Amino acid sequence: MIRAQPFLRRNALGLIGLTILFVAVACALAAPYVAPYSPTSISLVARMKPPAWIEGGSLSHLLGTDNLGRDILSRVVHGARISLAVGFAAVILGALIGSTIGILAGYFGGWIDSGLSFLIDVQLSFPFTLLAIFLLATFGGGFWPVVLVLALATWVNYARVVRGKVMSVKGQDFVHAAQTVGVPTLGILRHHILPNAVSPIIVVASFSMAQAILTEAALSFLGVGVDGSNPSWGTMLNDGRSYLQSAWWLTAMPGIAIALTVLGGNLCGDWLQDRFDPRLAR
Amino acid sequence: MSRYLAKRLFMAVLVLFGVSFATFIVGHLTGDPVALMAPENAPQEAKDELRRHLGLDQPLLTQYARFVGRALTGDLGHSFVQGTSVAGLVAERLPATLQLAFAGFVLSLLIAIPLGIIVALKRNTVWDFVVTALAMVGQSAPGFWIGLMLIAVFAVELRLLPVSGYGGFAYLVLPAITLALQSAARLTRLVRASMLEVLGADYVRTARSKGLRERAVLVVHTLRNAMIPVVTMAGLEFAELVSGAFITETIFAWPGVGRLAVTAVYQRDFPLVQGVVLFAAFAFVLINLLVDLLYVAIDPRVKLA
Amino acid sequence: MTSMRGAWTRRLFLFTSLTVAAALGAPAAGHAQGAPPVVIASSEDVISLDPHLLDSNNPTGSVIWSIFDSLVRRAPDGSPVPRLATSWERVDDVTWRFKLRDDVTFTNGEPFNAEAVKVNFARMDTAPFNTLQQLHDQTGLKEVRVVDDYTIDLVTEAPTVNMLYWLAEAFIAAPKYITDTPPDEAAVKPVGSGPYKLGSWSRGDRLTLVANESYWGEQPSAKEVVFRAIPEMSSRINELKAGTVDVVVGITPDVAGEVTSDVSDVVMNEGLRKMHMGISLNGEQPALKDPKVRQALNHAVDVPLMIEQLLGGSTSQLTSIVNPPNNNPALKPFAYDPEKAKALLAEAGFADGFPLTIQYSTRFAGGKEVSEVVASFLEPLGITSTIEAVELGQFRKELSAASLKGIYFQGWAALINPSVELVILTCGHVDNSSGYCNPDYDKLVKEASQTLDDEKRKALEFQAQEIVWNDAPWLYLWRLPNVFGISKRVAYDFRADNYLEPYLITVK
Repeated sequence: MIRAQPFLRRNALGLIGLTILFVAVACALAAPYVAPYSPTSISLVARMKPPAWIEGGSLSHLLGTDNLGRDILSRVVHGARISLAVGFAAVILGALIGSTIGILAGYFGGWIDSGLSFLIDVQLSFPFTLLAIFLLATFGGGFWPVVLVLALATWVNYARVVRGKVMSVKGQDFVHAAQTVGVPTLGILRHHILPNAVSPIIVVASFSMAQAILTEAALSFLGVGVDGSNPSWGTMLNDGRSYLQSAWWLTAMPGIAIALTVLGGNLCGDWLQDRFDPRLAR
Repeated sequence: MSRYLAKRLFMAVLVLFGVSFATFIVGHLTGDPVALMAPENAPQEAKDELRRHLGLDQPLLTQYARFVGRALTGDLGHSFVQGTSVAGLVAERLPATLQLAFAGFVLSLLIAIPLGIIVALKRNTVWDFVVTALAMVGQSAPGFWIGLMLIAVFAVELRLLPVSGYGGFAYLVLPAITLALQSAARLTRLVRASMLEVLGADYVRTARSKGLRERAVLVVHTLRNAMIPVVTMAGLEFAELVSGAFITETIFAWPGVGRLAVTAVYQRDFPLVQGVVLFAAFAFVLINLLVDLLYVAIDPRVKLA
Repeated sequence: MTSMRGAWTRRLFLFTSLTVAAALGAPAAGHAQGAPPVVIASSEDVISLDPHLLDSNNPTGSVIWSIFDSLVRRAPDGSPVPRLATSWERVDDVTWRFKLRDDVTFTNGEPFNAEAVKVNFARMDTAPFNTLQQLHDQTGLKEVRVVDDYTIDLVTEAPTVNMLYWLAEAFIAAPKYITDTPPDEAAVKPVGSGPYKLGSWSRGDRLTLVANESYWGEQPSAKEVVFRAIPEMSSRINELKAGTVDVVVGITPDVAGEVTSDVSDVVMNEGLRKMHMGISLNGEQPALKDPKVRQALNHAVDVPLMIEQLLGGSTSQLTSIVNPPNNNPALKPFAYDPEKAKALLAEAGFADGFPLTIQYSTRFAGGKEVSEVVASFLEPLGITSTIEAVELGQFRKELSAASLKGIYFQGWAALINPSVELVILTCGHVDNSSGYCNPDYDKLVKEASQTLDDEKRKALEFQAQEIVWNDAPWLYLWRLPNVFGISKRVAYDFRADNYLEPYLITVK
């Protein structure tokens, strides 16, 4: 049943995922050096140029130009900044809220647990997409509103997983020992409970990261996404959707970027889940 | 059992209250629906009169109390924009939404369950790799891109199916596939993982070592247990579909609840937004309750407490 | 190759439709009797069929126009056409007299007469209808006097030149029915006297009109018309190409090329909305108060290039804030001249430029692209732009408060009526979103609106147009282009104001 597998084979998918994410992050950090042009420099006479390998394309615009004659490669590279920033910010915020609630509910139990669990129940019965559109259409889109909404949507995942983990940990001897010798509650939470909850948090985070980037694209489609001077991948995808049949590269390039990054996030998530806790329920 | 049901129902009511209050407050915090409803050059007095006419000049809590009072009798108020009853508008869209949600859901189960099981049994073969990779890609591709591509190929290029709209079975095919592909990708991976976990469990190994035939092991023990997390997940997926497949409905001009909701939000049609959110929350709560009951049917060990 | 694929596809199609029809026992989307209906696809759904709640030209307006009649109708060039009224005259400065048709009955059998007009006009002046119905507000109508069964006098507070214009949007419903029926029901079961009556309506999907056999005028060529709501533009175009839709409304000019196929053509016309970047005089950038700066902005942007590249040459530059044919022909667009723009900025004391916020809403398609391109033209002047998308409700609020930050993408007044178009930019007017205020201009506009002599009024209006043009409260762009798709099976002359009149569609 259980075969011995060489390291590389066991970790191949995870390594692929990590590599993809690493490349995406590197692009985002080094965007001004990697991108051949400014992502916002417009040239109306050079609009809709196809990628270099298609007839009519040229090497000066490797991935072609968009409806305003902007270089798509430059926009995809710069777009990584916004899309990844949205993903990371949403993950960090969601994880902070969710883990805090999960730890509190799991450790203290009783009415605190009941109250927080009720909150989780309310959130779970609230249709997420509708919530997101509702909030964003009411308060307006933009970077922070989108991050906030994504965090609001995902904190439950952390809260549930962390609560379960904490409940199992707190019954163990070393926690009892710490309590008996009079370690303050905050200290117990920090030194004994939190470290044990880290692995499930990281697993949920890598899935959430993928989900956040995908959801940002969906929100852009509905007209309530991040919409600033610099494009996110979702915005690019949405801006190009009228040209899907006449100039496919406007949507294909950011689409591939999204799909790859999401794939990276999901591969990492799977891999970490296998390593940390194969039985972890999602 | 009945005590458990009563407790769940009580929770459900509480949850619905929470949802309705949150929606109400958020909706009224910002934005003046009159500014959107009246034409750009309507006189101020007419706008004020409209505000009074719609009851928007009352204090927030009075408006909320009135809303809840009426909602309890099944009256969700009148749409600002369309002037007709909210309950009626939602009910009108319900058949289309249920039809699409159900078709998409069944299709995704039909794809995901057999595929997930087969792949789990053929673990670490080429099949496993190919299917898992496809599922990964399916999960990573933006839904509206899939939908628009299906239209371009099957409706425009090949003219096999209608582009969009609501009608007979033919109209259902493309939107249902669009929905099913995304949800099937998620479920396939879940079925595979769940199967693998159960296959590795002690009681399955015990059963095998006792010499039971492979198929009996599979059917009696594995499948049943592996389905538990799948049921939860599938329930959530279905609830999300019923509450509105916003993007799919938009692309395929499908007259469902999702499009109703999106339009209502953009038009600041508060009563309609509230109505749709409440309906969606109700659907969520109901489906989750059904899922809990299904557990009992599948897994006798689950104790309801 | 093509024909082979065609044959193969047809066979496959036949096979699928047969199996589908057999499987469901449903009719295979066919209309056994007569010609198939004419199908019109718009992005939005019909909102209400209450004739006094009309708030958008298409599709709601197009349907209302088909089911109901008004005393006069507006021809595509803005001139009044007799409808339920056969003739009209001015009895004195404040009284208009209308002779009415005596051969009209509503589809429920009620007769049309002067009393019917009175009942309908009275309803328009009550909430909630009076926010949308502007007849009383815009004309100063204060009394509706029934002279005899088929003669009616409309008395206004002051002389007005706008009566016929607003009457075209004042629809007459069956009087007893509209009075006795709850608004809920009236909004879904309309009773009018127009060329069509309502067949069926399933919200969010389709609305069917059928010809009204008892109509007083000529019977329409299209006996059955279907209005469909298809929000996604590419889906609308694809339906047209697949031959399942005959008329498509709401196409952006840059994809116009995709509309043409073996079964469909593209039709473009210049709309009436005057698109511009409004310049907020009281916003956060004080430099914009200076007319020289505003002129500089106008010289800095290459509008002809934008029209050529972004709009496929489908429209033309604004030459006045008044639509043709009433525009002052002496006025010419600001030429694209970056050097002159720089010089003007330097004269005004802003040689190094300034920061500027550019805002747009989802109200008009292309707002984002236009803002981005305008920003790129302003950059060489040292004007550094921040582009902001503003949620529509918020945007409208700031428009009426004239509180936008810098410059903003907007289009005004889809109409041909110099008086109504000019009044918008008078001091403190509710639509004067740039906050422009020039007493000389106001005086001319007011004088013109009360001058009944056509020639004199025209001269005053020309003067006013010149003043405001050079004061440049807008960065003038173009008239909003309309792009339609039409199948080769039908013919129709599209109007610039986006109303569709299905009774004028001919089926070939």
